[in-house]
Amino acid sequence: MRINIRFAGAGGQGVIMASVLLAKAYGLGEDYNISQTQSYGPEARGGACKAEVVISDEEIDYMKVDDADVFVALNQVGYDKYIGTVKDDAIVLVNDTLVESERKDVYSISATEIAEKMGKPFVVNIVILGALTKILPKIHYPTVEEEIMKNFSASIAGINLEAYEKGYRYMEEKMKEKKEDN
Amino acid sequence: MAEEERKIRRGRRRPGDQRIGRMEDGSMVLQGNEACAKGAIQAGCRFFAGYPITPSTEIIELLAEEMPRAGGAFIQMEDEIGSACSIIGARWGGARAMTATSGPGFSLMQEAIGFAASTETPVVFIDVQRGGPSTGQPTLSSQQDVYQARYGSHGDYEIIALSPSSVQEMYDFTIRAFELSEKYRTPVILLSDEEVGHMREKVELRDDVVTIDDSPKDYVKSPQTDFFKGAMSTVEGQLHDEKGRRIGHIPLKSGAFVENICKKISDHADDICQVKAYCMDDADIAIIAYGSVARPAMNAVKLARGIKDDRIFPKFRLFRDLFTKGLTTARNTDYSHLKVGLIKIDTVWPCPDKLIARHAKDVKTVIVPEMNMGKYVKEIQRILPDKQVISLPKVGGDIHSPTDILDKILEEVGMDE
Repeated sequence: MRINIRFAGAGGQGVIMASVLLAKAYGLGEDYNISQTQSYGPEARGGACKAEVVISDEEIDYMKVDDADVFVALNQVGYDKYIGTVKDDAIVLVNDTLVESERKDVYSISATEIAEKMGKPFVVNIVILGALTKILPKIHYPTVEEEIMKNFSASIAGINLEAYEKGYRYMEEKMKEKKEDN
Repeated sequence: MAEEERKIRRGRRRPGDQRIGRMEDGSMVLQGNEACAKGAIQAGCRFFAGYPITPSTEIIELLAEEMPRAGGAFIQMEDEIGSACSIIGARWGGARAMTATSGPGFSLMQEAIGFAASTETPVVFIDVQRGGPSTGQPTLSSQQDVYQARYGSHGDYEIIALSPSSVQEMYDFTIRAFELSEKYRTPVILLSDEEVGHMREKVELRDDVVTIDDSPKDYVKSPQTDFFKGAMSTVEGQLHDEKGRRIGHIPLKSGAFVENICKKISDHADDICQVKAYCMDDADIAIIAYGSVARPAMNAVKLARGIKDDRIFPKFRLFRDLFTKGLTTARNTDYSHLKVGLIKIDTVWPCPDKLIARHAKDVKTVIVPEMNMGKYVKEIQRILPDKQVISLPKVGGDIHSPTDILDKILEEVGMDE
């Protein structure tokens, strides 16, 4: 059993960081096999950036993602570039402050807006990670929370935990509303 | 939130461990480059000199933190030439030493690699390959340095080069590189690539002490001493005898010396060479791959044999039901009878001639996927002259996908449409 997850965005948005935290949470917290790879340009900020996480309960041979089961887009460029390689029944999560999607059944979160309201626009990736944790199977709130604590220094872990919780609760609310509508 | 912060402060680890969680059974999630650095420390490496270059920088970053903690020395040198020369000096001073770089830096190190081969100095070079030639593609992967690793320096010498294809192998092969370098008193190259270097996977680290035999060997014809362990000798780039005296003007002795530094490796190829064979018992088609390309090749073998297709995921509407629904056999498995096997080469140099010939003796066709214009395929053609050996090159920075390799297999058996 295998899930292919792809993150796409701009360099500097924290695309790779989000994928690393998710991979560690699955690999160490939930004890699955994971493989995390990335592709980015030589520039420090800007430029296209993608990160891929493969989660499996078997040994992972091919470590990259060709057709994604889960696609997370942080900006429009990344969305346009990779939406074509997403499976028909895939889960698509977009940062709807920056991404316009014509696809139906898209999970969306105004991550940039939430991060900017917090006064820390750089936590946009963690807001998205919170929302993603709510959507994804076999992953639990405290596992990702622990990885955030382990991977950030004390001075910025607090704000990241706050962002993580905001993202998670936002998606929780949204899914509850959707359920009631049905 | 203040309470959360306090919690983190209390439980805060040392800076080096901070980004690395560790499970109870000892497994960790590490990047390939970080695993390489950990392996070096574990193997007793106590001197590192390097000049940062993408995609090998993480090795240097981690060792800058960990080397002083392990009681060793870390130096960021002025360039790759200095790095390569200083590790040779460090080894003669008595410390196990290594450096890490990528293609452009590896070119600069070639002179020192020849010097290490001639002086029979056991040092380890890590080359995390990126796209070339020249500055090339800093952040993308390739396997274009495979011949440079073998033939990069001038003169006749043999080299040992290992090619890892997973983070675990990056760790294990780094330790093995130190073992081989001390055993044969020769430079050893770990020929990694960006794909493996930047990949994060679970790794099991060793807790035992790695014992490496660095006693004098009778097949070594250079001085075998460490300067700070009580003895004096000359370290000489010109051809020399056991005491370090020049013999370059005596053709007979010089010839014997050059023969010896080649033969000490080629004669021990059985001990050095390792390959892994999968599904080769009844195979008609063999894929021969090394480094990161062995991973999609393995997947292609499974697809062709219909063993399992872990790339297919069940149809789902509600994502959280994902793991509870059964697997649907989405892929049409009408070619699952194809007898395809994989030979994964761990030791690219010396070329494992005997092992490849043995595993591939019954196959008709051999496919060699590589992230270059087709280099190692020439070795395979030399080893298997009576087989159909097909090159499957790919350049530009992307690794082969399993379907690239599967399509080639189908083309060979006439099933492509």
